[in-house]
Amino acid sequence: MAEVHVIGQIIGATGFSESSLFCKWGIHTGAAWKLLSGMREGQTQVDTPQVGDMAYWCHPIDLHFATKGLQGWPRLHLQVWSQDSFGRCQLAGYGFCHVPSSPGTHQLDCPTWRPLGSWREQLARAFVGGGPQLLQADTIYSGADRYRLHTAAGGTVRLELSLLLRHFDRYGVEC
Amino acid sequence: MNPEEEKVKIITEESTEDDQEADVGRRRKSSKVQRQRRKRQPPTADPKEMVSEKAHVGSQQELGQEEPETHLLSMPARRGPRSLPPIPSMSRTGFAEFSMRERLREKLQAARSKAESVLLQEIPTPRPRRLRSPGEKVSETGLGTEPSEEVQAAHHRDDSTSYSRIKFRDAVQKIKSKPQAPPGFPSAEEACNFFTFNFDPEPEQPALKAKGKDRDGAKQEEEEGEEESPAGGVSRTDDEELLGDRDTKDFLLGLDPAAEDFVAIRPAEYEGVHTRLEKEKEILFVPSRRAVPTYKKLPENVQPRFLEDEGLYTGARPEMSRTNQNIMENRLLQQDPGRKWFGDDGRILALPSPIKPFPSRPPPLAQELSDKAGLETLYKKAVKYAHRTQHTIGSGDPLGNFQLDIDVSGLIFTHHPCFSREHVLAARLAQLYDQYLARHQRNKAKFLTDKLQALRNAVRSGLHPEKPHQSLDATQRTINEYKSEIRETRKLRDAEQEKDRTLLRTIIKVWKEMKALREFQRFTNTPLKLVLRKEKVNQKAEEEAYEAEIQAEVSELMEEHTEEYEQKMEEYRASYQQWKVWRRAQKAKKKKKKQVEECPEGETEDELSPGEEPTKPALPEPPDRAALEQQARERAAHIRRRPGEPALLPELSLAGSVTPSDQCPRAEVLRREDVKRRMVYLKILFNSKEVSRTVNRQLGADFRVHFGQIFNLQIFNWPESLLLQVYETVGHTSTVLLAEVFLPVPETTVVTGRAPMEEVEFSSSQHVTLDHEGVGSGVPFSFEADGSNQLTLMTSGRVSHSVAWAVGDNGTPLIPPLSQQNIGFRSALKRADAISSIGTSGLTDMKKLAKWAAESKLDPNDPNNAPLMQLISVATSGESYVPDFFRLEQLQQEFNFVTNEELNRSKRFRLLCLRSQEVPEFRNYKQIPAYDREIMEKVFQDYEKRLRDKSVIETRDHIDTHRAVVAKYLQQVRESVVNRFLTAKHHILLTDLVVEDEVPNISIWGLSLFKLAEQKRPLRPRRKGRKKVTAQNLSDGDIKLLVNICRAYDIPVRKPTARAPNGDYSTASLQSVKDEVFINVFDEVLHDILEDDRERGSGIHTRIERHWLGCVKIPFSTIYSQARIDGTFKIDIPPVLLGYCKERSVTAERGLDSVRSLSEGSYLTLFITIEPQLVPGQPVREKFDSQEDEKLLQATEKFQAECALKFPNRQCFTTVIDLSGKTVFITRYLKPLNPPEELLNAYPSNPQAIAELAARYVSLIPFLPDTASFTGVCDLWSTSDQFLDLLAGDEEEHAVLLCNYFLFLGKKAWLVMGNAIPEGPTVYVLTWEQNHYFIWNPCSGHFYGQFDTFCPLKSVSCLIGPDNIWFNIQQYDSPLRINFDVTKPKLWKSFFSRSLPYPGLSSVQPEELIYQRTDKAAAAELQDRIEKMLKEKIMDWRPRHLTRWNRHCTSTLRHFLPLLERSHGEDVEDDHRAELQRQLGDYRFSGFPLHLSYSEVKPLIEAVYSTGVHNIDVPNAEFALAVYIHPYPKNVLSVWIYVASLIRNR
Repeated sequence: MAEVHVIGQIIGATGFSESSLFCKWGIHTGAAWKLLSGMREGQTQVDTPQVGDMAYWCHPIDLHFATKGLQGWPRLHLQVWSQDSFGRCQLAGYGFCHVPSSPGTHQLDCPTWRPLGSWREQLARAFVGGGPQLLQADTIYSGADRYRLHTAAGGTVRLELSLLLRHFDRYGVEC
Repeated sequence: MNPEEEKVKIITEESTEDDQEADVGRRRKSSKVQRQRRKRQPPTADPKEMVSEKAHVGSQQELGQEEPETHLLSMPARRGPRSLPPIPSMSRTGFAEFSMRERLREKLQAARSKAESVLLQEIPTPRPRRLRSPGEKVSETGLGTEPSEEVQAAHHRDDSTSYSRIKFRDAVQKIKSKPQAPPGFPSAEEACNFFTFNFDPEPEQPALKAKGKDRDGAKQEEEEGEEESPAGGVSRTDDEELLGDRDTKDFLLGLDPAAEDFVAIRPAEYEGVHTRLEKEKEILFVPSRRAVPTYKKLPENVQPRFLEDEGLYTGARPEMSRTNQNIMENRLLQQDPGRKWFGDDGRILALPSPIKPFPSRPPPLAQELSDKAGLETLYKKAVKYAHRTQHTIGSGDPLGNFQLDIDVSGLIFTHHPCFSREHVLAARLAQLYDQYLARHQRNKAKFLTDKLQALRNAVRSGLHPEKPHQSLDATQRTINEYKSEIRETRKLRDAEQEKDRTLLRTIIKVWKEMKALREFQRFTNTPLKLVLRKEKVNQKAEEEAYEAEIQAEVSELMEEHTEEYEQKMEEYRASYQQWKVWRRAQKAKKKKKKQVEECPEGETEDELSPGEEPTKPALPEPPDRAALEQQARERAAHIRRRPGEPALLPELSLAGSVTPSDQCPRAEVLRREDVKRRMVYLKILFNSKEVSRTVNRQLGADFRVHFGQIFNLQIFNWPESLLLQVYETVGHTSTVLLAEVFLPVPETTVVTGRAPMEEVEFSSSQHVTLDHEGVGSGVPFSFEADGSNQLTLMTSGRVSHSVAWAVGDNGTPLIPPLSQQNIGFRSALKRADAISSIGTSGLTDMKKLAKWAAESKLDPNDPNNAPLMQLISVATSGESYVPDFFRLEQLQQEFNFVTNEELNRSKRFRLLCLRSQEVPEFRNYKQIPAYDREIMEKVFQDYEKRLRDKSVIETRDHIDTHRAVVAKYLQQVRESVVNRFLTAKHHILLTDLVVEDEVPNISIWGLSLFKLAEQKRPLRPRRKGRKKVTAQNLSDGDIKLLVNICRAYDIPVRKPTARAPNGDYSTASLQSVKDEVFINVFDEVLHDILEDDRERGSGIHTRIERHWLGCVKIPFSTIYSQARIDGTFKIDIPPVLLGYCKERSVTAERGLDSVRSLSEGSYLTLFITIEPQLVPGQPVREKFDSQEDEKLLQATEKFQAECALKFPNRQCFTTVIDLSGKTVFITRYLKPLNPPEELLNAYPSNPQAIAELAARYVSLIPFLPDTASFTGVCDLWSTSDQFLDLLAGDEEEHAVLLCNYFLFLGKKAWLVMGNAIPEGPTVYVLTWEQNHYFIWNPCSGHFYGQFDTFCPLKSVSCLIGPDNIWFNIQQYDSPLRINFDVTKPKLWKSFFSRSLPYPGLSSVQPEELIYQRTDKAAAAELQDRIEKMLKEKIMDWRPRHLTRWNRHCTSTLRHFLPLLERSHGEDVEDDHRAELQRQLGDYRFSGFPLHLSYSEVKPLIEAVYSTGVHNIDVPNAEFALAVYIHPYPKNVLSVWIYVASLIRNR
């Protein structure tokens, strides 16, 4: 009956070649976890950085979990999308990171990647936009063998998460 | 020299007549010398050479292995000739003979070696051999012909050791031979002669026999060989003899002892088969192959048990040959006397066969693919981001991407108005031919015949069962089953054959008719041509088969009939027995009677035979074989082809030629032209909306239209109907809808590529008469000349099409989920539904599946079928079953801190969850305690109760059960609406989040600049705009409601009986009961209660009494949505206020009378607002499903947009949402509907009164707002019958019903959309009567004139009539200032106009309303209960005082209430007061009747409470309370409550 509060924000993203970025995020947990309140997933606004290359979203994340075990500790999965000048959206990167397990505030950098696709698709992406996307989005966080994928590195998403843990000591988990 | 010798000699002479003859003599000598020399000496180089040459020829491999043998064999043999030759050299003859023999031998040798060399594929030159090595050859041949050349060669090839050994041996032989020839013995020559000449036939005979054949001309040689072989035999015996003097031999042989000394030659050991078997029998056990009797395998006295027969599942045993099993069983019995190897059935225990009939490993290629599937990427085009309702990251593909492919390939008319008579026949022929083809292809008759044959065979073999373990009973049963099957099959087959035959006949008949017609009309229209092909048959075989069939049939029939006969016989016997018994009894009775002889005949007759005298049963006839055969033959002749008759195969071809138009008569030409003018196209309607249409194609001369178009429908909703409409265009003018064809919605498993072409028939009911050859449609015509035998054909045809689901790029079919509800949660699990993944679409129906399982006799005990059986049992029993065998995280259990139950039990978590789910009870719950123990259990009580009550209808609160049901239903509707809005509320638009100030433009700048220069006028107050606050920023207690009551009109004035007129009405109590603001008007009376006049100077002792005068109710939602309410409201004043009266005289002087002439009552001017000002919620407009025409919907949107552009504040309704959540065009609700008969009959002559009565009736239906939340303005419109059934609704329903009543009464009536006070946006009814417009408030039943100042309707935005909508485009919207003449397009913008004519929409209302009379007794009972309840309540509210009830007064009031009802609460006050005064003269009382509509008890109690009657705390106050309920039809109840307080005057 331990509880975990995840409070924080998706600060922004750097290192993407595209400029107008937004981020879809979601939290995936194991079966032992129960979301008491908060939104499991969401989407940020589109940010076009004026200065520098960092796109700032400052998107709040506020989740309250109850858990009956440590299995399936929450993991955060991200999709960074870019919007071009025509208002079309295309994928810029998939990212994934575990929510930290120690209480306190954590700065997280989540590197991202995106599928490369065939040369034809790369060419198409370069000229007309779009690009290969994963059919099953859960590949982002599930441990399926991904060795068949060819990916290109995207930028980094920066997160700041604060953790409040409660009652873990009751069950012999020190934190 | 005997003659034989001579002969031989001659022969040899002859045979040696060759080129060598010349040197024969010379050679003879030399050869002899040579020979002798060679015998003594080792072979010279010549032979050696030859040997080496031979060595090449000879096979090397024999060297090693044959050497010892040659050694052994050749040694003694060689010894003979080598020792011999020197001796015959002495004799002449011997010599001559020798030389001759020599020659012969040489020749032979040459021939043999030649043959050999040929054999060995080498051609050695025979000559050198012959020339060079005669001696050698001699010695070789001397061995006899036994050893082969190779052997010899091998010997010669022996190395020098063997060579030297030979030399030694030769020497030894020489030495030996000398003592061998004793003096008395003949010399060697003699011996030779003896052997040669004294020729003894006996020893030579077998050799001759053996070899004589291949050596014809070489007898001599044979003899020689013979002569020598005994010599060899002798030499062997010599050897044996020599064993004795071994030492000499040893000495002589020196180092190398001969091999024969150690080796004994023995025959191979061999034992006879029989002896071996004999011996083996002693050691070995050979299990028998015979079957073991069962009793041996089972324990004693145990019967074999067949588990399978007992219904237990045993499974199929592995395949094993019977003999093997027998062997095994025998062995087991022998080896292991225990019977543990045998099962109960006496067979070897065996597990079910583990072998799967198919490989369990999936093909590797597929494996590879599926592995990749998870990681597959899809190139997606950069698309513009559509604002979806959900922004989920998890759900894969977007919804709505479903596709249905409809392939319309063509159309064939089976009848068309333009058909000529010939066409009609042709169509019939074609149809028949199609039928024939189909039947032919199916060939059911053949199939059934085969089946019959098979069944007969089965029966035949079944009579001799081979399976021993099957019980006889079962066999018999199966045979019986088979027999009945045979009967059925035969019948079926006969029927099929008959059909085939008749079909063929009909085809031929139609064809003949057609031919006749063609001849008659002298032209041909159709290319159809029927050819009958005769097929020769084998007459003899057929006859036999025919006869056999008949015999079989007859015998079966015979059997059948015998059975029947036996049955009948049985019956007959039984009945005969019965009859006999009866007969006997009869006789006995008769006898008795005769004895008695007293009763008259008639009586006994009657007594004895009461009409049921059993007749003597007739003996059933035994079956007659001949008759049966006759019958069978007749039938066969009728239905079957006679044997030998050629089989007729019709063939329909289009090979015929059509007569060209110029050779046809005029009528026909006209017909053809008409056909050419006709075009056909199809419209495709999806969910009764047109989505596409095919191209317009010309009708061909053969009445076929080919489209060949595929329509890909991108769909969003589940298809409810797919419709093809066939349209026909004649020329360029008219388009006629011929027919509608409904296509079945394909199963989810039917995808493109797999869907077969299907044909759907259609037919039209149109009647067409044509003036040319065409026969028309729906018109009778005839083929006969005299017009008899008329036919009427309707246009009909077939559309060939296929409908299938499209397949997406990744191979998934694009099928929408069945339920549109949870469209957002299409999990992967659902997609992998076990059954649908199999692809057996028919199995989706569980009942069908169960039926199938029962029919196909699935073994329910078979473990293979277990999942299926479980599925069926679960599905059919209707229990929801959660399988517990699948766990995603297997180790979860071990690592859990707590169990699931514990987690769910936690109150804190529960509270948190409920709050986050926005459950109404906890929606804005704050500060959830950190510990479970701090949370009270009662927090959940309400919630749990509500959950519990969801299904249980609580009748306790509701005295009337019907109301309870309705209340529950409404509660559910409301909840669903709330849920819908809660989800809708989360759809946030940009404007909800971002408030952007408009960029100031020049004009605004200019104005503000101008304002700066403006003169300041500090004394002139100016209104300041208040800042609007969004609801999110508020906390508890932030909102203040400001109520400013400005003034009131026409407040009842206290009667002079009171002491001082103290019209103080400023007191208002702000009660925020739920959502309504009640403004109650009280009269506060100050009573001086000083007992003693002496104290008046020094003290004041007064008591304040408040008398309720009336109230104004304003829902908070109105205030909230209006932001401020500023207006004059009519106070709801009871019709009778005891102790008060209206001051008409005073008001009349005011000059306001003219405006108020139509309305009476008291008014209150109010200004209400909220501090801080709140942003009113935006009405959420969700898109709902609709069944309206797409065009109409588009028009409504356009209309609304136009209206909103012009007058954004005036709301315009064109579509509303009905109870099922569908968008419906608003005018469909308006339709004349009958009010209850009772109301119509009340005032037959006064239509106005009837109208008022109707309004009153409508207003009596309880009002129930369905605006469920503040923000959501979502009205669900129910139809009038639903409204009357529910007995609850808000303004719309009331207004619609009232408007419908008015329409029925023949008035001109409209719905008025507008704003009213206090309701806010509402619906009123407008009527046009006697040149006046009246505005009716449907909820109160009041009506106002158009120019009534106090009309609560403050603005009018649109009018709705039964066939149109008019939007107010006048400058003003107050009803006082507008013109209601809707015919003026400048003032009213109408929806349907000339450009968009009214399409004649059908109404959603019922044809007629049916009213049930309300049970009066129930109403009376309800009345008593309410009265009792209210009395109890009043006593409860006065806990500190004694409540006395004045019974006398109560009864008076009770009598008065029906009066009030009758007069609708008008003009009874004075009489009533006078009467009361008379009866209760010495009381000072205040009281009033309340009139309410009845929905629940609670509002009644609240109403009574709010009047504050109970607040009187005069000690001697008495109370009176009476309730009257007047029932109206359809359970509409009018409730009157009369409350009064009495104080005795002293």
